[in-house]
Amino acid sequence: MLISHTSSHTLPNAGQAGGISGEIAVRLSGVTKSFGSGNLTVAALRGIDLQIAAGQLVMLVGPSGCGKTTLVSVISGVLDADQGRVELFGVDWKSLSGEQKTGRRAELVGFVFQQFNLLAPLLAWQNVAVPLMIRGMKQRDAKPLACEALAAVGLGDRTMARPGELSGGMQQRVAIARALVGKPRLLVCDEPTAALDAKTGQTVMDLIVGASKRVDDAGRGCCVIVVTHDNRIFHYADRIEEMDDGQLKDKPADFIIAGANTHGTG
Amino acid sequence: MWRIALAMLLGDKPKYLALVCGLAFAVLLISQQCAIFMGLLIRSTGPLQNVRQADLWITDPTVKWISETRNLSESDLQRVRSVPGVLWAEPFFSGRASADLPSGSTRIVNLIGIDRTTMVGQPPKVTAGRLEDLRIEGAVLVEESSRSKLDNVNIGDTLKLNDKRAVVVGFCQAKPGFDSPAVVYTTFANAITFQPLGRNTMPYVLVKVKPEVGLLQVQKSIASLPGVKAFTWDEINAITIRFILVETGIGINFAITVLLGLVVGLAVSGAIFYQFTMENARSYAVLKAMGTKNWKLVGMVLIQAVWVGLIGYGIGVGMTALFTLQSRRPGTELAALFPWQLLVGAFVGMIACISVGSILSLNRVLRLEPGVVFK
Repeated sequence: MLISHTSSHTLPNAGQAGGISGEIAVRLSGVTKSFGSGNLTVAALRGIDLQIAAGQLVMLVGPSGCGKTTLVSVISGVLDADQGRVELFGVDWKSLSGEQKTGRRAELVGFVFQQFNLLAPLLAWQNVAVPLMIRGMKQRDAKPLACEALAAVGLGDRTMARPGELSGGMQQRVAIARALVGKPRLLVCDEPTAALDAKTGQTVMDLIVGASKRVDDAGRGCCVIVVTHDNRIFHYADRIEEMDDGQLKDKPADFIIAGANTHGTG
Repeated sequence: MWRIALAMLLGDKPKYLALVCGLAFAVLLISQQCAIFMGLLIRSTGPLQNVRQADLWITDPTVKWISETRNLSESDLQRVRSVPGVLWAEPFFSGRASADLPSGSTRIVNLIGIDRTTMVGQPPKVTAGRLEDLRIEGAVLVEESSRSKLDNVNIGDTLKLNDKRAVVVGFCQAKPGFDSPAVVYTTFANAITFQPLGRNTMPYVLVKVKPEVGLLQVQKSIASLPGVKAFTWDEINAITIRFILVETGIGINFAITVLLGLVVGLAVSGAIFYQFTMENARSYAVLKAMGTKNWKLVGMVLIQAVWVGLIGYGIGVGMTALFTLQSRRPGTELAALFPWQLLVGAFVGMIACISVGSILSLNRVLRLEPGVVFK
């Protein structure tokens, strides 16, 4: 059973929408995070409780500055929470050392950024190969896997292009290939369609949805969290969590039903 | 990851070239100035290097370096010859003379006078003519690289040395002195004819010690004579170098130039490398967010630093080596010496230059928050 951010809410379409293995990918309880100090302290997260199942595509929506990006940073171990417990696949980030956190991110998490964040001097396939090389794979071994991942996002013929030679949509597809090449179990997407036109945004979201439906050899699904303002893509979500002022908002069931999982991909 | 590091470095061509050029210039400045300085030091001992037959150089006790002469008298020569253990003692002239050239111009020459019988102090190599011809009255051998300074004189041509007729009877090779004048060899007798010095005519007396007698013992015996001092070759070489280093100010001036090279290298390469890292901070943050461990990021920064350092070093020492080779061409006024120790010194200088940039960059990269990738 999938559990929403409060124990009183369950997703009405949870059965169809994800949670292939039923495994809890992300579990947050009482998470707070502040920036600054003294009078300048800004509370970015105020007691977040959230659970997300593997195989589920969750969208985090809300106004600018409401804490969406901070929340995914904390979930992915990029930022440490001040208080509360943040578990990723059953392991509390706080129980890990800095190096262990870094290693766990390399192993489990894929990132797609609004600004793509491709390394400009590298060829497309080299950019895609980076996560594999971070894990210690040699470049010559990583290359075929990177080219395969590029082909999967429709860029099999642009493996030798540099980011500057690609359109925005193509760059985002390279970024998705980079995020997926290591078969991550958590895919974090920060405004993946914000810099793209509607049609390209649809293409990118189809790829992200595809990732959420993928299962690994052990039958485990990939949890996808998408931070977005773009209401054109809400229908791709299995679940939508709305944030405001550092908190997840309680929302009526029809908000979830209306927004979630109407893209027809299951 | 080193391939990614190098791709990042080579991908920013303007900064890459600026870094390499800055380091190459710093290494060139450091190594070339040191090479010139060492070349000048060696050149200052040139007249010594031409004479290897003698065990001891006898001269006035107040002499500070090889080109400074205070003449000894004939009686000094005889007293030295009378010291037990002396195999032979011969006069050796080294002084300046004004040469009137066929073109009508004038040139200062270093006049070397050797004993006409034993030829002790002769030039290392006679390349044209015969050494024995020096025994002819007024005969001179012209050092080859000095020919161009003397209107390219040929055998049979005549010069006027201090207004006295000199005939060129051949050419030789010999190392010039510190100020690199034209070098002319003649016999001691001819030399004091060209440049009369009164009663004291001998700047140096060259002494060979009997094989069965200790050099130190003979040196002490000669030193006990009034008004003379006996130097071994190494000692007079050392006081000559010390004089150039300490009393001419050349040492401190070259040291300042080398220091400037180091400072320029430190400042330029440090600043550019740090700027390069700052501009790539987002890329490093992305790598950090994706799970690159700190030691790998340190490795990437160091690989970039070592790469530009080695290329800059190669270019810098390569240019210094070319300069040094050029200085070895006959007739050149360039003075450079490039021993392996200088290669090591320049390498240390280069490491110092890239260390500054690396430390600043590593400090930045290690403090980088991966969370900035979401901004």
